[in-house]
Amino acid sequence: MKHSIQSLMAAAQVSLLLALGCGTAHAAELRVLTHASFALPKPLLAQFEKDAGVTLRITKAGDAGEMLNKLILTRANPVADVVFGIDNVLAAKALAAQVLEVGDSPPTKPSGGVTTVTLPAGLVPVDYGYVTLNYDKAWFAKKGLALPRSLDDLAQPAYAKLLVVQNPATSSPGNAFLLATIGAMGEDKAFAWWAQMRANSVKVAKGWSEAYYTDFSHSGGARPLVVSYASSPAAEMFYSKTKLSEPPTASLPLAGGVFRQVEGVALVKGGKERAAALQFVQFLRSAAVQQGLQTEMWMFPADAGVQRVEALRHAVEPSRHDSPSAQAIADKGALWVQRWTKVVLK
Amino acid sequence: MGAALDQSGAEVAPNPPTMTHRAHLALAAFPLAFLLVVLVAPALRLLLEGGQVSLWAPLQDAYLRWRLGWSFLQAAVCCVLALGLGLPAAWVLARFEFTGRTLVLRALMLPFVVPTLVAAMGVLALLGPQGLLHSWGGPDLQGGPWLLIYGNLFFNLCLVVRAATEALGQVSASRVAAARTLGATPWRVFVRIEWPAIAPWLASAMCLVFLYCACGFGLALVLGGQEYGTVEVEIYTLVAHELQLAQAGSLALWMLALTGLVALAYALIERRLAAPVRADTIARRRPQGAYQWTSLWAALAVLALFCAAPLVAIVWRAVAAGGGAWGVLGEGATLAALWNSLRFTVLAVVLATALGLAHALAARRSLLLRTLVFLPFVVSPVMVAFGLLLLYPTWTASFGLLVCAYALLAYPFVAKSIAAGLDSMPVHLVQAARTLGATPWHVFRRVTLPLLRPALRRGMAFAAATAVGEFAVTLFLSRPEWATLTTLVYEYLGRPGATNRDAALVLSCLLMGLALLAFVVIEWAAPARDKDVLIHA
Repeated sequence: MKHSIQSLMAAAQVSLLLALGCGTAHAAELRVLTHASFALPKPLLAQFEKDAGVTLRITKAGDAGEMLNKLILTRANPVADVVFGIDNVLAAKALAAQVLEVGDSPPTKPSGGVTTVTLPAGLVPVDYGYVTLNYDKAWFAKKGLALPRSLDDLAQPAYAKLLVVQNPATSSPGNAFLLATIGAMGEDKAFAWWAQMRANSVKVAKGWSEAYYTDFSHSGGARPLVVSYASSPAAEMFYSKTKLSEPPTASLPLAGGVFRQVEGVALVKGGKERAAALQFVQFLRSAAVQQGLQTEMWMFPADAGVQRVEALRHAVEPSRHDSPSAQAIADKGALWVQRWTKVVLK
Repeated sequence: MGAALDQSGAEVAPNPPTMTHRAHLALAAFPLAFLLVVLVAPALRLLLEGGQVSLWAPLQDAYLRWRLGWSFLQAAVCCVLALGLGLPAAWVLARFEFTGRTLVLRALMLPFVVPTLVAAMGVLALLGPQGLLHSWGGPDLQGGPWLLIYGNLFFNLCLVVRAATEALGQVSASRVAAARTLGATPWRVFVRIEWPAIAPWLASAMCLVFLYCACGFGLALVLGGQEYGTVEVEIYTLVAHELQLAQAGSLALWMLALTGLVALAYALIERRLAAPVRADTIARRRPQGAYQWTSLWAALAVLALFCAAPLVAIVWRAVAAGGGAWGVLGEGATLAALWNSLRFTVLAVVLATALGLAHALAARRSLLLRTLVFLPFVVSPVMVAFGLLLLYPTWTASFGLLVCAYALLAYPFVAKSIAAGLDSMPVHLVQAARTLGATPWHVFRRVTLPLLRPALRRGMAFAAATAVGEFAVTLFLSRPEWATLTTLVYEYLGRPGATNRDAALVLSCLLMGLALLAFVVIEWAAPARDKDVLIHA
């Protein structure tokens, strides 16, 4: 009996080790690290695997900020060869932590195409979008309330309890919106505004999904104003059940409430499969991907030469956007989030 | 071998005389090695990475002090409420026979598998600003503490009800009958006979509820907003988003110490109260008279209000979405996710069962091992997730590691359930079998295991519920080809638009249907043969 139990356990332990071991040994595998929102048409990815002669191993590592932290933690033993989704908010942090392959090696620059947006060297811009307020058209029509015309309006009693934002500590759009307010008003005035917003009962949700699907009045919540993207109304149209003549929501690009987010791809320092990784960078800049990503990730293509798809017609690009300097974000980004937590939550 | 005496001199349920000391060690080695490799080492590795931990810092920060206090306060409140509502309901479920009784017990576990965000949508459809209650002229409950408490009960009531129902089912019929004959009122019978018999089970359930509420992310947070975050949320933010490992480490150590005390207290209570049951169980009767029927309906109403209503709202919204929305069921991504959910769950449950069985059998005499069962609940999961990444970079996002992570979060349920089963197992059966010449292995296979079967099945059902739930999904690295139904739901809810929302609702319905099927299969009513063993023993 003793023997049978012991041999049973030995077998279990061996099988556990085998289970752990399998999946590590593969030939020519390109490891791609992305944030949770990464999506591309499957045929395109399959075509890339065929052309490059590698298997893509895509790993989603949560929110973009979380993804970068995982990359930083594992820099001694990188878990990926290419990383997609580091944006202009995180770029400085990524570069400072030296997790990206920098240098002016030409292949990390996009070949061809007209780049409208830029990122620091080492990162190739792939797409961009605008974090801004969205509002529920039906709610405002029903209440007969005029739309706020400035961020200061939002702090007035008439607009109390109408806005939901994401926690900048846990959400990329939440952080982007905070940065826009700081970029437009300066640090002290921005935090004074946030303090007013707290007094005016701004609601803080954990992430975009929570804010949009439980607090936004368009999806059953109580708040007709939500921090989202300029492309969200276009997505509402695209994913509507019946043919709509116009989206049920609209973006509201108030001055100081718009942040332009530029997402890029980069090689991971110490990564393998260099040739395939470079090929992947070019692949993300290819016309097919630049076109395909528009309705998969609801971002604008970084290559201005690529045609906008019809579905993005309802995504209005705001005329102005604000942001602190890249250096200021790198130096003070974390402090601002802490200060925000103190002002709005503590 | 007679009843063993532990250090305190109290008589405890004896170890089945089937195991030598070395067999014990061998049994314990399996779960302990697993815990060491998958939990302790990664968490320690992350602590090391963080460097100098200043242990007193969290107590000096008023905000963190408040967070710690709040975590424990709301957990305590939730425990009291869950006991107050759950025990009467459980008593009714345990004593009365009615059509659909087993289905109610199985369905009680459904809140575990529904993605938090979808559950929140269900709750809001009823109690939110545009919900049913509000449209009938009632108040809008969003934002206040009420939805918070409701959210906690939604997830935790089933733990109490299931455990108490199980326990009440094992109360000795002859003792109750004797007391009644001697003139005791039903209330007195409950206080003097039933309560002492079920107390260890309740302690176990309360402990789980407490740990879940104190350490949880949960529905409460989505419904209540960020100002109601628990310490675990704070740790998550510090690790995943701010990379403040030292600060996170000191908070996690505090949580570990405080919740560890709870676990230890529980293990002490459990060992002290553990008593073998008499094999004569009370037969359930159909309710008779208006009073009994009323109490049955009242119990069902409580369960419907707190556990079923949000689920029904989800189904109702999915149905209302119309036939077009259900087309998502035929999509390739859905089928792939379905397959992934199935195989992850099966693998995780198999591993969790092996671990839980070994742990429970080995832990019978050891207070330390009994406490260690709770380790996966009290060590901050985000610390483990990031530690795994740091410690085993080559296994990152490997299939095996993912299954291990799922099993880690699921196996305490199996271990707890079996431990309770072992504690209450009649001793004389094993002794009789041994006297009649059965080998220890034979005794285990023919006597112990059949008697443990209901407890094992209950534990496995909870393990399955945990495995298909979202907890593991959101923490560990995932790959698109391994997307489970829960991941897919969150993917849909990551984009705006009505069809995305409807797809998430429909997929949640699929998840619930699948889970219910799994619960029914796992806890298929024990065949008559097993019952004979119990009754004629």
